[in-house]
Amino acid sequence: MADGNLEKRPTDTAEHVKERPAVVPRVDVYENEKEYLLLADVPGVSRDNLSINLDQDELLLEAHRTDGDEATLMAAEFRSLDYRRKFALPQGVDRASVSAELRNGILRLSLPKAEAHRPRRIEIKAG
Amino acid sequence: MFGYIGDLDRTLALMDSLRRQMDRTFDTYERAGRNVSTEGGGYPPINLYDTGSGFLIKAEVPGLTEKDINLTLNQDVVTLSGELGADAPEGYSVHRRERAPVRFSRSFSLPSQVDPKRVEASIKDGILTIQLERTEEQKPRQISVKAS
Repeated sequence: MADGNLEKRPTDTAEHVKERPAVVPRVDVYENEKEYLLLADVPGVSRDNLSINLDQDELLLEAHRTDGDEATLMAAEFRSLDYRRKFALPQGVDRASVSAELRNGILRLSLPKAEAHRPRRIEIKAG
Repeated sequence: MFGYIGDLDRTLALMDSLRRQMDRTFDTYERAGRNVSTEGGGYPPINLYDTGSGFLIKAEVPGLTEKDINLTLNQDVVTLSGELGADAPEGYSVHRRERAPVRFSRSFSLPSQVDPKRVEASIKDGILTIQLERTEEQKPRQISVKAS
């Protein structure tokens, strides 16, 4: 046989038929005294198709993207897919005030630090 | 007998090469991203559709706005160029940087002539959509057969 790959293809088709690729979105992570800031590229994702879950010590980012095209595809370099990425949450994030903003296909997630975890400047008194 | 097996082998080989080609296309997508790759395109990744009366081009351009993109049409060649600057916020330390700034220029020729006056482009959610219409001469036409 020309190539062994043909035999290695999965045969449990029921689950593979509707399989969509899940891709890791590219992110930048920044930090300053007040917050952690996460920027993620999620082109093609609208607000309704994006979910951000804060678990105990994990942040899960999931987005679903459909290109919904009826026209005939002639050349493809990208396709409908899901974005998914998990992050370990740093200590001391103030969960209640996490905020997110989606603009031009970029997600901007702000994770403020709890008051107790912010660096504090300690004054040294002259004795 | 041998002829039959040879045919089967050829068919399977053809299927396999097709599958590999598809794998490559998708692999490239997953790797390409913002790094300008030489294989199978570059930045931005695009999809080309045939709408019958014209073409539809979609490009992934997260972070770009209409101001950042130059779109030119010369005969049947579309050129997309522009620059995506760094959007790093001031006064932050960096933990991870995967989204590099990029300057790009990309041209592709369309399969047929398009009407330069009827081009529309828009950006939504980081996806650039360009709509082009074929020139009248290039449009598919139905020819009715007359009874003589």
